[in-house]
Amino acid sequence: MSENAKSVTIIMIEDDEGHARLIEKNIRRAGVNNEIVPFASGTEALAFLFGADGSGNASAGRSLLILLDLNLPDMTGIEILEKVKANPHTRRTPVVVLTTTDDAREIQRCYDLGANVYITKPVNYEGFANAIRQLGLFFSVMQVPETA
Amino acid sequence: MSLTRNSFVVRTLVLLLLGLVALAGVVVTNVWLVQRTQDYVTEVTQLRRLRAAGVDLRSRLQDAETGQRGFLITDDADYLQPYDDALANLASYMDRLRQAAEVMPDLAPRIEQLAGVIDARLGELRQTVELARQGQRQAALEIVRTDHGKQLMDQARAILQEVVAEAEDKLGRLGVAQGESANALWWVSVVGGLIVVAITLAGLLTILSYLRQLAAARQEVEALNVNLEERVRERTAELGRANEEIQRFAYIVTHDLRAPLVNIMGFTAELEQGVATLQDFVARSGASETGADGDAARLAAQEDLPEALGFIRSSTRKMDGLINAILKLSREGRRVLKPERIDLQALLQNAVAAVAHQVSDAEGEVALDVQVPALVGDRLSLEQIVGNLLDNAVKYRRRDVPLRIKVRALARPGGLVNIAIEDNGRGIDAQDHERVFELFRRSGQQDQPGEGIGLAHVRAMARNLGGDIALNSTFGQGSVFTLILPARLRADTRSMAA
Repeated sequence: MSENAKSVTIIMIEDDEGHARLIEKNIRRAGVNNEIVPFASGTEALAFLFGADGSGNASAGRSLLILLDLNLPDMTGIEILEKVKANPHTRRTPVVVLTTTDDAREIQRCYDLGANVYITKPVNYEGFANAIRQLGLFFSVMQVPETA
Repeated sequence: MSLTRNSFVVRTLVLLLLGLVALAGVVVTNVWLVQRTQDYVTEVTQLRRLRAAGVDLRSRLQDAETGQRGFLITDDADYLQPYDDALANLASYMDRLRQAAEVMPDLAPRIEQLAGVIDARLGELRQTVELARQGQRQAALEIVRTDHGKQLMDQARAILQEVVAEAEDKLGRLGVAQGESANALWWVSVVGGLIVVAITLAGLLTILSYLRQLAAARQEVEALNVNLEERVRERTAELGRANEEIQRFAYIVTHDLRAPLVNIMGFTAELEQGVATLQDFVARSGASETGADGDAARLAAQEDLPEALGFIRSSTRKMDGLINAILKLSREGRRVLKPERIDLQALLQNAVAAVAHQVSDAEGEVALDVQVPALVGDRLSLEQIVGNLLDNAVKYRRRDVPLRIKVRALARPGGLVNIAIEDNGRGIDAQDHERVFELFRRSGQQDQPGEGIGLAHVRAMARNLGGDIALNSTFGQGSVFTLILPARLRADTRSMAA
């Protein structure tokens, strides 16, 4: 993100506002200053990603990185992941699944669907903060393609 | 007709007894009747002999008379032959009659009378024959003409006729009696036989109905057996589903609980940072701020806020520990067991070696007695169970006596293995024997760190392995934890464990 870092937008889909805030704070602490757009429900997030018509044209030309929680009130994160990876405009967008579930089958399924990283939220806060900060450091060196 | 085992036995015995009595009656009556028939036969023989003797005697008398008359008419000695023969034998014929007449004592006087008449008649015959031999035929004929001889002869005939008639009369009566007796024998035999047949039939019916009942019961049992396996399979599946549901529930609950907890802990950390900043500020600018507001702010920053944060931290940490414990248990329930052959001696030795350091610190010793060379089980579970129990034995020892731990492994009937871990520690109060296996529950003096998870975990693992754990303990003297395991862990045990 070093060169085009400014242009990469982090889409954070997380229904727990506390978690969202903590994630944002810890990413900032790692020195990542990219714009973070939070969504508390899957519907809102899908509307942003694929536009009102659902075609995905809205995301054309954007540089996005999606931070996805699997347990959402209106749909599962898996559905969102499927849609993102199936849409020609967003399929190259890196998706980081960040969730509490550590079920092996769930993890497998996410990677099968094209998730780029799967991170289980650590149980205690210190571990959690640490993991998010390292994730922030990882973001700061990672290249994100511009969507088609 | 429904027969219980007892009523069947009683009924059969009663019928058997009745049959026996009837049979005995028939036999006794038959013996008695046969005896009576034999008596009749003897009597009949005797009476016939009497009749024959009477008839013979009469013939002999007539022979004698015939010989006399012939001689008197012809004067030819040849005609005397019948007379001589009769005279020679008459005494013996008379004796035979006497003997034969003993069967009818009533006739005795008539027989004696007859003997007298015959004697007189013979005397008359002898006299006439003697006279004729000496040539005095006229004198002899004279004597005949007196009719004295004829009268005597008539008397003898009449008496003999009477004797024969009496005998025949009695024979007739005997014949009737014998007929009646035979009839009675027939009836007794037929009726007795019928009773025996009836009783036998009743017994047979009883046995048949009992047998039919047995057969029906057996069919029922067979049918039940067939169903039983099916039902066991269904129940097992139901239990498995219920178990899965509980584990899913525990898993979901812990996950959902964890999310807000992360927030509480996270924002507590943020608060702590904020408080630290505040403390710095208050410490630096504290001198310039005086008065009640300044003191209150100082007190809040230095004492109240850190204290409150400390409690929030310790409480959330504890809650975190509890949630983790539940999570660990639910994970244990979901873990796939790997049955493998385990050298029990080696496994127990390793477990003992793991606590050897603490045991020697407590001046204690561990005795190992393994009578089961190997079993098929899940190594990880077994190691954790034994390790937990040994840790507890060390942790809850009595400080005033040297620690003694005995580990024994024994084969038990039914394909089971018992692993007993006995200590001389502080023991567990009888009322807490079940409680100690419950999650987050502890017993006795709370002077050791712990969350009340170990034994709950041990029991969950033991049951997962298709076994269980039992506790035998006396407060203040020590405890024996007995792990009961199948010697061969089956691959489908998981679904069996409730």
